[in-house]
Amino acid sequence: MEKTLQEGAPGSLLKVRGARLPLELERRLQALGMTPGCPIRVLRKKKHGAMIVKLRGSRFALGSAIASRIIVEEA
Amino acid sequence: MENLSIGFVGNPNCGKTTLFNAYTGANLKVANWPGVTVEKKEGRFKLHDHEYRLVDLPGAYSLTSYTMEEQVTRQYILSDEVDVIIDVADASALERNLYLTLQLIELGKPVILALNMMDIVEKRGMEIDTHRLPEMLGIPVIPVSARRKTGLDILMHAAAHHKGQEESMPLIHHHDSAPKTTSTRHRHQHHKEFAMVYSDGIEDKIDQVMEQLLKQYPGLSNPRWHALKLLENDPEITKAYPLDTPLIDRSYEQDIINEKYEFIGEIIDEVLVNKDKKAAVTDKADGALTHPVWGLPIFLFIMALVFFLTFTIGDWLKGYFELGLEAFSGAVLSGLTFLHVAPPLISLLVDGIIAGVGGILTFLPNIVILFLALAFLEDSGYMARVAYVMDGIMGRLGLSGRSFIPMILGFGCTVPAIMASRALENKRDRFKTMLITPFMSCSARLPIYVLFSQLFFGGYAMLAAYSMYVLGLVVAVLCALIIHLFDKKKAHLTGGSALLIELPEYKAPSAHTIFIYVWEKVKDYLTKAGTTIFIASIFMWFLLNFGPQGYSADMSQTFGSKLGQFIVPFFAPIGLGFWQIVVALIAGISAKEVVVSSCAVLFSVSNLTSPTGMAALTGALSSIGFGPLNAYALMTFSLLYVPCAATLATIKKESESWAWTGFSALFQIAVAWGVTFVVYHLGLLFV
Repeated sequence: MEKTLQEGAPGSLLKVRGARLPLELERRLQALGMTPGCPIRVLRKKKHGAMIVKLRGSRFALGSAIASRIIVEEA
Repeated sequence: MENLSIGFVGNPNCGKTTLFNAYTGANLKVANWPGVTVEKKEGRFKLHDHEYRLVDLPGAYSLTSYTMEEQVTRQYILSDEVDVIIDVADASALERNLYLTLQLIELGKPVILALNMMDIVEKRGMEIDTHRLPEMLGIPVIPVSARRKTGLDILMHAAAHHKGQEESMPLIHHHDSAPKTTSTRHRHQHHKEFAMVYSDGIEDKIDQVMEQLLKQYPGLSNPRWHALKLLENDPEITKAYPLDTPLIDRSYEQDIINEKYEFIGEIIDEVLVNKDKKAAVTDKADGALTHPVWGLPIFLFIMALVFFLTFTIGDWLKGYFELGLEAFSGAVLSGLTFLHVAPPLISLLVDGIIAGVGGILTFLPNIVILFLALAFLEDSGYMARVAYVMDGIMGRLGLSGRSFIPMILGFGCTVPAIMASRALENKRDRFKTMLITPFMSCSARLPIYVLFSQLFFGGYAMLAAYSMYVLGLVVAVLCALIIHLFDKKKAHLTGGSALLIELPEYKAPSAHTIFIYVWEKVKDYLTKAGTTIFIASIFMWFLLNFGPQGYSADMSQTFGSKLGQFIVPFFAPIGLGFWQIVVALIAGISAKEVVVSSCAVLFSVSNLTSPTGMAALTGALSSIGFGPLNAYALMTFSLLYVPCAATLATIKKESESWAWTGFSALFQIAVAWGVTFVVYHLGLLFV
C-alpha cells in the first residue's frame, strides 16, 4: 500500500517517490524541487484540507487534490 | 559613456523588485510587454562611466514555455536587447533558486548571480562559501542586500565587466566526488566547458542532436541549449526547429530536471554550512497566522483594521485637503469675477473642472492609506498565507485559495486584480475569478460611499461605508457558489483544491518598496484625475448646461436631463428614479469616481466634501425626494454595476474575447440591479 503526502502527519519527515498528476503540474512541482528522493516535511495540515510543507528550504501550501496525488515514503 | 542593458531575473519573492527599486528609485517607466498584459518595468541610471538600463523581468521559477511570464522572460533574454543578465537569488532559499540559475547559464548570455538577503542568512547562523559557489557555477557571484543597500555598486561593476562574455570561462570543477564521474567514458571534456554536465547518456543525446541541428540550421547560436530544449520536447523550440531525423525517442525533461537538482544538491553540500538552522521567526509567526482555528479570525481582524485605518485616518487628513480646495475655489471665483470673465466660462472652470477634479483629489488620503496597507500585507509575506487560510472556504465555491489574492487586491484597484488572476493555473478558475473580482469594492468606489454615507447616515457613516465592503464580498461569494452549483464540468483535479503557492519567509517590509508601490498608485490616481475625470467633468458640464436651445441656465432643459429622463424608468424600481443620479451613474462607467464628481457638477456644488458643500448637496437632494434609503441604494448599485472602462479593457485583454467581456458587463449590471432591488424593497419595509 503506497502512502500519499496527504496522509502525512504534521511534523513528519517524508521522502518524495513520485506523483500522479497532469504532466504540466508535475513538471511545475519538479521545477520547484519536488524530484524523486527529495525529503519533504509536513509543517501544518488542516483536517481534510490544504497543508504546508517544507521542501528544499522553501515552504509551500498544497491543496488536497495535489497532496493526495503525491506518493511518498518514510524518510 | 557606454550603454548597458541589464535584465533582472529571479524567482518570485526573491527580493528582485526591492533590488531593482534600490537602483532606479521611483524613476521608472511601467508599461506592458508587447501583446501581453505582463507588466514591464524599466529604469535608467548612471554610475561611473556607464549608463545602465535595467529591465525588471517577471518572476519565474523556471524557463519553460508553460506560462506567459516564463515565455516573456525567455524571449527577452534570447533577444539582442539585453547585454547582461542579473539573476537575483534569495540566499536563504538558495537550493531552489539555483534551479533557475542553471537554466539561465545554459541560455548562453552573460549571467551574474546576485545573492540577495545575505543579512537574513547570517542572522540565521548559516554561511555560504562565496568563493566556491562561483567556481562551481562558472559565473560571478556577488552578495548583496537590497534592503540594506549593500553590494549595489559592485554588482553593477561586475555586470559592466562581464558584458560580451558569451561563453562562461572554463571551470575548475569536478562533479561528484564519487568515482562515477572520473570514469566518464564521454569523449568530450564537458566539465571544462559547462557548469551543468549531464550523465553520459544524456550528453550523448545532446551531442547527436547538436550535430543534427548544426547541419540543418548552420549558424544557430547556442546549439547546446537548443538541443536540450528539443530533448525536453519544449513546444516552442520543437516547432521552430524541427529535426529531419527522429533522434528524440521520448521527452527527457524529467531526467534533465532531476539531474539539475542532483547537481544543485552537490553545490549545496559544498557551499552551504549549517543549512538546517531553523527560520524561527517565520515558524513562530506561522504558528498563529496559519493556525487551523485562529488563522481565519486573525485574517478578518487584519482586514477590519485596514478599513478602519482607511476611514478614520483618511477622513482626518481629508479635512485639510478640503480646506485647501475651498480656499482655492473661492479665490478663483472672486478672481475671475473681478476680471469680468463671461459667466459660462466661470461656470465651466469653477463648477465643472474645479468641482469635478478637485472633489476627487480630496479623497487622496483615504486611497493612500488603503494602498499602504495592501503594500504592507504583500511585502511582509502575509498575502500568500491568506491563500492557505482561505483555501477551505474557497474550495466550497469550487475555487482554490489562490483565487482569494486577486479578490483582496480588488479592494485596491480592479485592474491589477484582474491581471493577478493570471497566477491561477486553471482556465476555468481564472474566468470565474475574473467574473467575481469586480464585485470587490475598489478604491475608486470609496469616494461614493464616503460622500453619501456622510450626507445621510451621520454617526453611522463608517458603518454604512463598511457594509459596502461586506456586501461586495458576500455578492462575490454567492455568485461563485451559484456558478459552482450549476457548473457541470468540475475542476480537472477532483478531491479537493489544487492550491499551489510558495509561502515566503516573513520579513519586515522595506519602506522603500512600499513607498514606490504607493507612489505608483497615487500617480495613477492623479493621472486619472487629470485625464479621465477632467474630460468627464467638462463633458458633464456641457451636457448639463447646453440643451437644444443652446446655453441654458435651467438644467431641466439640457441634453443631460433629457438623456437621464429617458432611462429613468429602468432605475425607478430600485429607488434611483432621478435623472440626475442616472446621468451620474452612466458617466461613472468612465471611472467610478466620476459618479461623485458628476454630482458636484449636477448640483453645482463647488466644494462637495466641505460642510457647506455637503449641506448644499443634502438640500438639493432632499428637494428632489432623495433620502437615506435612496442613498444606500445608490451606494449598492455603484458597488456592483459595470466596473470602469479600464477594467473592461483589462478583462478583454486577459480573456481575449469580446463576447466574454460583454457577458461580464451585462452580468454585473443584472446583479447590481437585482441586489439593489432587494436592498431597496427590504429597506422600504422598515422606513
